[in-house]
Amino acid sequence: MASKEILHIQRDPRMLYFAIVMPAVMLLLFGFGISFDTDRVPIAVCDADHTPESRALANAFGRSKDFDIVARPRPEEIEGLFQQGRAQAALVMRPGYGRNLANERPAEVELVVDGADPSSANQIMQKADAIARAETRGRILRLGVPTQPTVEARAWIRYNPRALSPIFLVPGLTAYLLGVGAVLLTALSIAREWEHGSMEQLFASPVGRFEIILGKLVPYLGIGMLQLLVILVVGTTVFDVPVRGSLLLLLGLALLFLVCMLGQGLLISATSRNQFLATQRGLITSLLPSLLLSGMLFPIDNMPMALKVISWAVPARYLVHAFRGIMLKGGGWETAWPDFVALSIFAVVVLTFATVRFQRRIA
Amino acid sequence: VKVERLKGRRLAWSQFRAVVRKEALQTFRDRRIISMLVLAPLIQVVLFGLAVDFDVDHVPTAVVDMDGSATSRAQLRQLLADGTLRRVARVSTEAEANQLLDQGVAGAAVIIPAGFGADLEAGRSPAVQVLVDGADPLRSSTVVSTTSQFFGRLAAQGLRERLAEAGRTHLPEVKLVPRVFFNPRLKTAVYMVPGILAMLLVSVTTIVTAMGLSREREMGTLEQLLVTPVEPLTLLGGKMVPFVAVGFFDVLLLLAIMTGLFEVPIRGPLPVLALGTLLYVCSTLGVGLLVSTVSSDQQQGFMGGFLFMLPAALLSGIMTPVSSMPAWLQPVTWLNPLRFFAELVRGVLLRGAGFRQVWPQLLILTVFGVTLMSVATYRFRRKLA
Repeated sequence: MASKEILHIQRDPRMLYFAIVMPAVMLLLFGFGISFDTDRVPIAVCDADHTPESRALANAFGRSKDFDIVARPRPEEIEGLFQQGRAQAALVMRPGYGRNLANERPAEVELVVDGADPSSANQIMQKADAIARAETRGRILRLGVPTQPTVEARAWIRYNPRALSPIFLVPGLTAYLLGVGAVLLTALSIAREWEHGSMEQLFASPVGRFEIILGKLVPYLGIGMLQLLVILVVGTTVFDVPVRGSLLLLLGLALLFLVCMLGQGLLISATSRNQFLATQRGLITSLLPSLLLSGMLFPIDNMPMALKVISWAVPARYLVHAFRGIMLKGGGWETAWPDFVALSIFAVVVLTFATVRFQRRIA
Repeated sequence: VKVERLKGRRLAWSQFRAVVRKEALQTFRDRRIISMLVLAPLIQVVLFGLAVDFDVDHVPTAVVDMDGSATSRAQLRQLLADGTLRRVARVSTEAEANQLLDQGVAGAAVIIPAGFGADLEAGRSPAVQVLVDGADPLRSSTVVSTTSQFFGRLAAQGLRERLAEAGRTHLPEVKLVPRVFFNPRLKTAVYMVPGILAMLLVSVTTIVTAMGLSREREMGTLEQLLVTPVEPLTLLGGKMVPFVAVGFFDVLLLLAIMTGLFEVPIRGPLPVLALGTLLYVCSTLGVGLLVSTVSSDQQQGFMGGFLFMLPAALLSGIMTPVSSMPAWLQPVTWLNPLRFFAELVRGVLLRGAGFRQVWPQLLILTVFGVTLMSVATYRFRRKLA
């Protein structure tokens, strides 16, 4: 059975291309394309103060690698710059700013932020705040008063100290890419056999039902593991993603996850009459949840309760968690076992359902 | 001669209408296709809007208070008060905190050293340690900046007290007062949902056309239509019109959900949005048509559409800003209609941009629409001939 399916796959090299080249390309695209770091934020400076102090602050923003001064508009022109997308923030210094500082008093500056994109806006405010604090520190130092800090906070960033997005994304992306391939390939290939009527022929042959299903799944399991290797090789070489924990555990979990996804593909194909429908159902039930509800991009902690509950039924969630633990934190069995158990339960449930539906369909 | 030409035009028009009617009937008769064109975008936009949240708050935090004084307890309470950090565990050693980080139970740990309260009072500058799980850069940078801001403020307060004792009442401080335009409560959904619109239109136009025309090729019905006296161009136009209509219907539907459920404002002129949508749908339908000319069956049609959609969605600035991409990758986004449509939608809805602000996007979308449609039509006709 398995060798027949392998033959099928071999005859359609596009399938193999879809299975092997696509994950590598996707990984490169995601790894390079998705980055949350906003550096070189285009900022406008409105200096109505015209004092050495106001110029000093503008220079501090200009020198920082986080900001690029792109315009020096009047305050009422800021909104237009935001609308055209030419600036994302504006520093507004009103008359009196320099005089206050020169008199050793606090002085206010306005930071106008284009809040449409909240994650960029938050980062802009954090970065601007750091510059303002550095400016304050410098001014106080120059007063010649004792400025030894009264309390210090030292941050130790573990696992990904250089804050590289790919190191965060690649482990999660693995789950997504494996899932896409497994669910869609099985769902489509089996739906095609239904459409063409070759499935009924198979069942009329003396091969057992269980063997047919198994034989259909084994080659795709092989493709999935091949995909995993491609992803791991690209991830570790191009993006320097570490694999600190056990590779064996990683492969074991991936295998279990693939069984879940293949089972899901089987279930979809058993309930869909044609390829078109199978594709749509695959997209909605597996791709979308794997992308959105797995914690790969968006933290599950922040989601509303209803989505948190749904995410428990998304296998990708467990694989993302386990992969991050193993690859980035060097975790072992002791941190991964809950994910292992959850994936096993999902696998058993989905395969049972799929087999039952399959049998009902041929009966 | 004039009458003849007029007759010909009238004939072409009536043929066109007939094809549109046939296509519309065929598409809308199938309840599953309708549910896919309407229900699927609905599910996706709601799911996206609810799940997508880049706000970093409730970071699970382990607290190690080696001091246990009234001061340390009070400071910790204040640190946790704004909700960015949420205490999930109280442990007594750094090793235990590290273990919680390893297990993923905690995303950060705050360690107050022994003697913190006494040192602070005596002016001996105690050092607080913050351990951060850096796997997620967005989260770790927020944790670092939250804690450093908090303890920075504490330090400034101490400094002020010390200077007050020395007779100094004020300091030259630079105070940054933020003012947020367009999305003052900084809600992620308000920004993301309009971007999702651009992605959904691809799946209801590009993939559906690619698969639909590939199916006709697979079954040979396209050739049947060609032996009828209908012009290929009329035929093609008639086939596209129902999908343009579905695209517009989806835009209206999603606009209703956006404003009703996710509080997305509509600040700019809707006609500009409608024009942008029309130009954009021309591009996405053109891509679908192109894909169908290189596919021989539905599976290939789907894969082709999918292979266009994923990279196009990634390199559009919808999820993460284009300016954050590496410099060599940014020029690629110039070839992507999704990028300009997303910019247009967000500009019009959120920032109240009108024709004067978004004409560059409209111009680029026109170029894309006309080019893609012409190339696709040309290839389609050649393939049929």
